[in-house]
Amino acid sequence: MNRLWKEFSKGLWKDLPPFKIVLGLCPVLAVTKTAYNGLGMGLAVIFVLTLSNLLVSLLRKAIPAKVRIACFIVVAASLVVCVELLMQAYAYPLYLQLGIFVPLIVVNCIILGRAEAFASKNPTHLAVADGLGMGIGFALSLTFLGSVREMFGYGTWFGMELAGDWYEPFAFMIEAPGAFVCLGLVLAGMNALTNWQRRTRGLEAIEGPIHDCKTCGLCATKPRI
Amino acid sequence: MREALRMILVLSLICGLSGLTLAAVRQATGPRIEEQVLTYVQGPALNQIFANADNNPVLDRVAIDLDGEAVTVFPAMVDGQLAGVAIEAFGRGYGGDIGVMVGFATADGSITGIGITTLKETPGLGSRVVEPEFREQFGSRPGQDMALQSQGGDIAAIAGATLSSAATVAAVNEAIRMYSRIKDRFPKRWSDQDTP
Repeated sequence: MNRLWKEFSKGLWKDLPPFKIVLGLCPVLAVTKTAYNGLGMGLAVIFVLTLSNLLVSLLRKAIPAKVRIACFIVVAASLVVCVELLMQAYAYPLYLQLGIFVPLIVVNCIILGRAEAFASKNPTHLAVADGLGMGIGFALSLTFLGSVREMFGYGTWFGMELAGDWYEPFAFMIEAPGAFVCLGLVLAGMNALTNWQRRTRGLEAIEGPIHDCKTCGLCATKPRI
Repeated sequence: MREALRMILVLSLICGLSGLTLAAVRQATGPRIEEQVLTYVQGPALNQIFANADNNPVLDRVAIDLDGEAVTVFPAMVDGQLAGVAIEAFGRGYGGDIGVMVGFATADGSITGIGITTLKETPGLGSRVVEPEFREQFGSRPGQDMALQSQGGDIAAIAGATLSSAATVAAVNEAIRMYSRIKDRFPKRWSDQDTP
């Protein structure tokens, strides 16, 4: 139980995908014009990530090491096409907004990263917990970034008017450069918070990039045979 | 050798299963997707043309066979009577096909108005075919072939977007041709007094 919670909760803060391990930035920058779009994209990623972790973990003993990446991609791509079809059938306006970024979930490095670094080496229940946690963390991050950009850029939140007529929308925030600036500010804020927490615990502040093996897993990608 | 066989077998099995799943999902969602596309792509254009229709032209659509191709016809009812129909036609624009929904009054075959469905023209130039000043030139006129002013007709082209304007005119003319060939074959139920 303890282990299950640990794997689930790491995606929510410690390894928060876009802001802590800085993965999957393409949709983070592109679809967060509004909170609604961010949430929609996040939900699609939760679905794909959880199911792909489940399937990869179930099949991990059957998949030969040499073709594992191909197998992971087939699993992820099938799930993404399912999401695309379901979105067209039940949320067509959202599909029009997200456009090309739905099929691009296949190449989102979080999906393949979790399949390779976690699901292919762990039992099913842990893999599902990991996928759910990472997915929810990703969805919350996208919704948060979308909310910030929508509030400044349109003066609304999930389409609700927040400000009166006097508010002059800060149109820069909903353009591409606004996405980069917002993301940069959030990352800077996260780093400041981490360092402040470390200092209160009497640890030294972190300067410069960290090379953390836990979230990279690249050294583990050499064939297992 | 055994290892190679196993790789081929596993990968083929996974691909086959995923293909089956996708086919099933596609079949299950197909009709709903078609309706959603019609509602969100063709629907707004239909609302522009038939602002006073009592029915939902998308739900009441029928496909009529024309030289082996299905032409989708969208009816508009006013007071339970068939007042007009709309047909979508395409013209070759600058950035791809321009889809034009053309509405006809069934009483005399005149054009009631047009709406743009799909458009990939240059923003600010060709994309201006959606503007009312351009579109309204097509409204309330007899259902006869028309042409741009430069071609001896009376449609004023959009400055800097002759190709997109000509594509719209071509699509309207195409719709007129289709209409004249299928107008006698509309289903009976549309003209019933007690249509829901």
